[in-house]
Amino acid sequence: MNANALQFQRAADAKAFDLRHRAIVAKNTGTYHAAVARGLARFADWETARRRAAQVKWETINHLDRYLEEFERNVLARGGHVHWAETATEASQLVVSLAHQHGVRKVVKSKSMVTEEIHLNPALEAAGVTVLETDLGEYICQLRGEPPYHIVTPVMHLNREQIAQTFHEKFGSSTDATAEQLAGIACEKLRAEFLSADMGISGANFAFADTGMIGLCTNEGNGRLTTALPKLHVAIVGIEKLVPRIEDLALFWPLLATHGTGQFLTVYNTLIGGSEGFHVILLDNGRTKLLADAEQRDALHCIRCGACLNACPVYKTVGGHSYGTTYQGPLGSMITPHLRGVADWSHLSYASSLCGKCADVCPVHIPIHHHLLHNRRNSVRQHCDSPLQRIAFRLWLWAMQSPGRYALGGKLARLGMRLGLAKPLAKAWTKGRDLPEPPREAFRDWWRNQ
Amino acid sequence: MSARDNILNRVRDAVRTLAPRPPEPSASPIWPPVGDLEARFREEFTLLRGEVVESLPEFLAGFAKIATDGSELAGVGNAPVREADLGVTACECLVAQTGSVVVTCRSAAERALSALPPVHLVMARRGQIVLDLDAAIAVLRRRYDDSVPSLVSVISGPSRTADIEKVLVMGAHGPKRLALYFIE
Repeated sequence: MNANALQFQRAADAKAFDLRHRAIVAKNTGTYHAAVARGLARFADWETARRRAAQVKWETINHLDRYLEEFERNVLARGGHVHWAETATEASQLVVSLAHQHGVRKVVKSKSMVTEEIHLNPALEAAGVTVLETDLGEYICQLRGEPPYHIVTPVMHLNREQIAQTFHEKFGSSTDATAEQLAGIACEKLRAEFLSADMGISGANFAFADTGMIGLCTNEGNGRLTTALPKLHVAIVGIEKLVPRIEDLALFWPLLATHGTGQFLTVYNTLIGGSEGFHVILLDNGRTKLLADAEQRDALHCIRCGACLNACPVYKTVGGHSYGTTYQGPLGSMITPHLRGVADWSHLSYASSLCGKCADVCPVHIPIHHHLLHNRRNSVRQHCDSPLQRIAFRLWLWAMQSPGRYALGGKLARLGMRLGLAKPLAKAWTKGRDLPEPPREAFRDWWRNQ
Repeated sequence: MSARDNILNRVRDAVRTLAPRPPEPSASPIWPPVGDLEARFREEFTLLRGEVVESLPEFLAGFAKIATDGSELAGVGNAPVREADLGVTACECLVAQTGSVVVTCRSAAERALSALPPVHLVMARRGQIVLDLDAAIAVLRRRYDDSVPSLVSVISGPSRTADIEKVLVMGAHGPKRLALYFIE
């Protein structure tokens, strides 16, 4: 087993039986699901909406070269700048050199997962630049030195008491502070930073080819201030974020908000286009590898709403940090082997019951659980499975192919369970659960006697 | 070869084979019909905790430092935006279906006007209410064609956060209050 798989198994093992974690996440996702149900009720035909969204993304992703060039042309025409980065390091170095060129000492950031992906904060800090996260959830992550737990809800795993404790340690505020007081403290601290920052950094929820504008969806207004106050605005944009026209936002903004938080629209849905101080960095970092796989290309249709995370029984049990990836949950398990290597990340595709809830809730209709199966197949084809696994599945296949052998296998298994031989083999299962009693007879015998 | 060429070449190679096209969606409408535009706008705007101002002088009396974009309220105030306790802007249109106001601007100073002061007042005419986001974009296209202003913000209520236990807290980094006055 590789180091990432081992890390995942250990972390997942610890979280799965952490009852406090489970209660916090259950409360959080419970509130989310109630809000989403209200949000979905605003659609007359949600199925048609997501099928249309899938069409738009199909068109864009399958003609991505054209749309990227059109986007670039339009950003330049507005007086903005476009940079291209093949890797995470290239992207973060581009930002660092822009900071150096313009004498930037302080950066404010609006929430962006792609900046997590390229490890931007450590790169800027190493270059002597102060970086401040301004989204409340991200700010709390930064104070605690933790990565985001969830792509949309960065501190879903924490309750108010824990956050109040963090603020108490950092700022001496009351350990009983309410959510409102905590938000107030963060906003007050950050206001001065907004006014004195030299550069604002954002991601983009969408990039519109026809106007060379990016779309940012936020609730707090930090995205607005990040892009309005500093002289420079750098937007880091994964190449899959393109959509053809600003007309498409009428469909995508409500879909993103409804599935992200249950709102019909987030408070600030903003289109930002270039001027002299506007820099866009278009990032590949493995995306073209996924693009080259026509069978799984639609994984690039994802708009990062987080709905599949909130729906996933595995995510809610093992928690976002266990994955060890920037993008967690079913979405992360689907794309990470493509972006970062089959050998190192395919184990995540097995962290799924294949129940298909992730695909059911997906606003752009990606058959996520099918992709997890494809990932498993690719991993076996590339011999990333263990020899023991290989032997076990060969044996299973051999037994499955004959009714006699299958029946014999069942008999042996029931006998083994009765004699207590199964217990040591099932240690991983019995650590947190009981082993069921073996059935008295095979299903086929029971059926015959009915 | 530059990073640009490398990426675009990889993209071109990749999409030479098209992925299977998803099935054609039905032509049925996605949203339920909207009846009276103004009634719906007021309902949604209020649900989002926006305030419709009835008496403008009374409202303005509550503020000492007013910053404006000079479009509809010229002379009302000329405080620098960074010090203002009220930012006043015009708008492109109002969206009935979502209760949103659509604000645009071309300069950096104006960008802060609807985001930095603790209260944002929008000046609008009843005739600016349009059905939905599609109609709002059509307004922008008609007015600006391909030269859309460098900032378009569809604002739906005052700023808020629910990052802590999903408890809704009104007023985060953006304005704590969003007010609207109908000039006519």
